[in-house]
Amino acid sequence: MDLSFLHVLERERVLEVLQRDRNLRMIEEERIRKMKCDLQELRRKGAKSYARQYGERTCARCQRPLGKLWNTGAVCRGCSHRICNRCRVGVADWKCTVCYAYREVKIRSGEWFLEERAKKFAATTDKYETIGEKLLKFYCVQRHIAVVPPTPPPHMEYEFRGRFRELKNSKAFTQSMEDLMVCFRSHIKKFSNSQNDVRGDLLTVDPNGKASCFRYSTQKSLSDTDINKSCSLTKRESLPNLFKKSKDSDHESSSTGAEEETSFSSEHSFDHRSSISSISTECGIFEGILVSGEMELAVAYNSSGSCLEITVGGCRNLTYGNSKKKKSHPYVKLYVLPDKNSKMKTSVKKNTTEPVYNEVFKYNIERHLLFGKRLQASVWHSGTLTKKVFLGEVLIPLDAWRQENSSFQGFYWYPLCPKAETLNGVTAENNGH
Amino acid sequence: MTDGDYDYLIKLLALGDSGVGKTTFLYRYTDNKFNPKFITTVGIDFREKRVAYTASNPNGTATGKTFKVHLQLWDTAGQERFRSLTTAFFRDAMGFLLMFDLTSQQSFLNVRNWMSQLQANAYCENPDIVLVGNKADLADQREVQEKQAKELADKCGIPYFETSAATGAEVDKAVITLLDLVMKRMEQCVDKPPADPANGNGAAKLGEGQPNEKRCAC
Ligand SMILES: Nc1nc2c(ncn2[C@@H]2O[C@H](COP(=O)(O)OP(=O)(O)O)[C@@H](O)[C@H]2O)c(=O)[nH]1
Ligand SMILES: [Mg+2]
Ligand SMILES: [Zn+2]
Ligand SMILES: [Zn+2]
Repeated sequence: MDLSFLHVLERERVLEVLQRDRNLRMIEEERIRKMKCDLQELRRKGAKSYARQYGERTCARCQRPLGKLWNTGAVCRGCSHRICNRCRVGVADWKCTVCYAYREVKIRSGEWFLEERAKKFAATTDKYETIGEKLLKFYCVQRHIAVVPPTPPPHMEYEFRGRFRELKNSKAFTQSMEDLMVCFRSHIKKFSNSQNDVRGDLLTVDPNGKASCFRYSTQKSLSDTDINKSCSLTKRESLPNLFKKSKDSDHESSSTGAEEETSFSSEHSFDHRSSISSISTECGIFEGILVSGEMELAVAYNSSGSCLEITVGGCRNLTYGNSKKKKSHPYVKLYVLPDKNSKMKTSVKKNTTEPVYNEVFKYNIERHLLFGKRLQASVWHSGTLTKKVFLGEVLIPLDAWRQENSSFQGFYWYPLCPKAETLNGVTAENNGH
Repeated sequence: MTDGDYDYLIKLLALGDSGVGKTTFLYRYTDNKFNPKFITTVGIDFREKRVAYTASNPNGTATGKTFKVHLQLWDTAGQERFRSLTTAFFRDAMGFLLMFDLTSQQSFLNVRNWMSQLQANAYCENPDIVLVGNKADLADQREVQEKQAKELADKCGIPYFETSAATGAEVDKAVITLLDLVMKRMEQCVDKPPADPANGNGAAKLGEGQPNEKRCAC
């Protein structure tokens, strides 16, 4: 598909329309991102765990005890957990709050549509890219050829070239075009080196909760706490009615045994797909790749060994690290932030988007020091030579594991997100090998 | 006009022969105005409208819940020379307004062709479509009888409306009917049981594999 059959003026008209479409799409992507952040928060909260009497029958969502005669709870059809009256949405055909939120996000984000379409156009292009987006990308790049200085590329990700190769119109696209893309890429790279700043602001939502502002500030990098702060700002009521119920029940703030979450998510059809992927255009721009899928992790504190035990179960529904060849050799890298010397890596699994690792990592740390620490687990595609392609990450605040007897220890599927922040360690990924 | 304060973004698309009134129809729907001038649509265009949508039960009673829906209404050029461009946009739309001109038998005959274009290019084999016979106000020039069009619509299992972009008659109704179909479709899509049962339960994996301590040296 290209616009070469149009007259110049016609093409301009069409590109104008596509530009308007892009504006709308950006608003939509931001809306979806927030929605999915809220959902992740809901899941996280639901899974946060405090001491719980062994064997006591409790609601899987709010952890209130269930009675023997009244309020005995009933099994949710979505996740098969026993749920109290208060944590149900709907009457006859009810679902628990989390299952309901999943379903709702899937509808409201348009994920249902992408899934349906993927059934029909299975192996064709990028699931998330609209035709308008594709055309616009191609033509905007082409129109700016003259502007970009022809500097040699410092490094380039194969993946990115691959994507553009798909877009190109073979006759219009020449080697110089590719060079152009390369330096375009390197410019973006430079720009994204100061991502700490950018990120903080990307996440900032104005207090009215209206349109978010993409301010690219010049302030120097945010400290960890600042980042946390701005993260919490993103939590706004984009699904106002949806989460109320669970919020109400949350202040007792007990929670599910995580093993329950595990069986829940494996049954849930929403989990078959990416969570944050459709919204990751910003990631798409920076990395030339879209994020999708989930990662299965179990985190536990081992008191006798004074260490945090992180088990990487596996991933599913990953994007291809090399979309041209439809290949992925994924591995998982872990950091206990902000400790940059805490890098741990799994083995690389070849040719799969559903890698299973079952690898356990130990990080020595006193329990009370977990306060303010976060686990960053990122998936990378180990490409040819030293090329590493980012496939998504999960950030987990570790505060919950400070409690003794924390029962939040089982496996849990976390949705993969676009890159939240640049760490020294992450940038080093490209050079350090 | 756009901010992110809505619950659903629904993308609909109008298609049909050139001159049947797609552009005029959409303009009537979004701005409630009529433009008698014929300005050829260049390839593609879209208009937007924010509407309140109240979900209804299968029996037709309102459930009381009202949502804000942001409609993106794609307009396409009917002319052959834009065909490759316009049909490419079919795949990004969730529902379709298939229009013909009640005063042009030819535009009605072409409905079948547009149907097959949709089948080939839309996101699924049987997308939600509403058949629209436009220019109902030009009664004396009518060439397509209601019965004829209704038969075709019934055969395809889609709703049919006779509208007038000039007077506004039935315009809203046609769009809202399509919106309703799409909204129902979304629910069906997420509620139907997944085709492949999820295999591999996370908890089951716990035992497998050999938990080996690893620390990267590099
Ligand atoms: N009388 C009448 N004229 C209409 C109606 N709808 C469109 N037209 C006219 O038909 C012509 C073609 O309409 P247009 O919307 O540009 O057609 P398109 O090619 O399908 O987009 C224009 O001159 C319109 O004013 C209608 O309902 N009644
Ligand atoms: Mg037109
Ligand atoms: Zn409960
Ligand atoms: Zn449930």
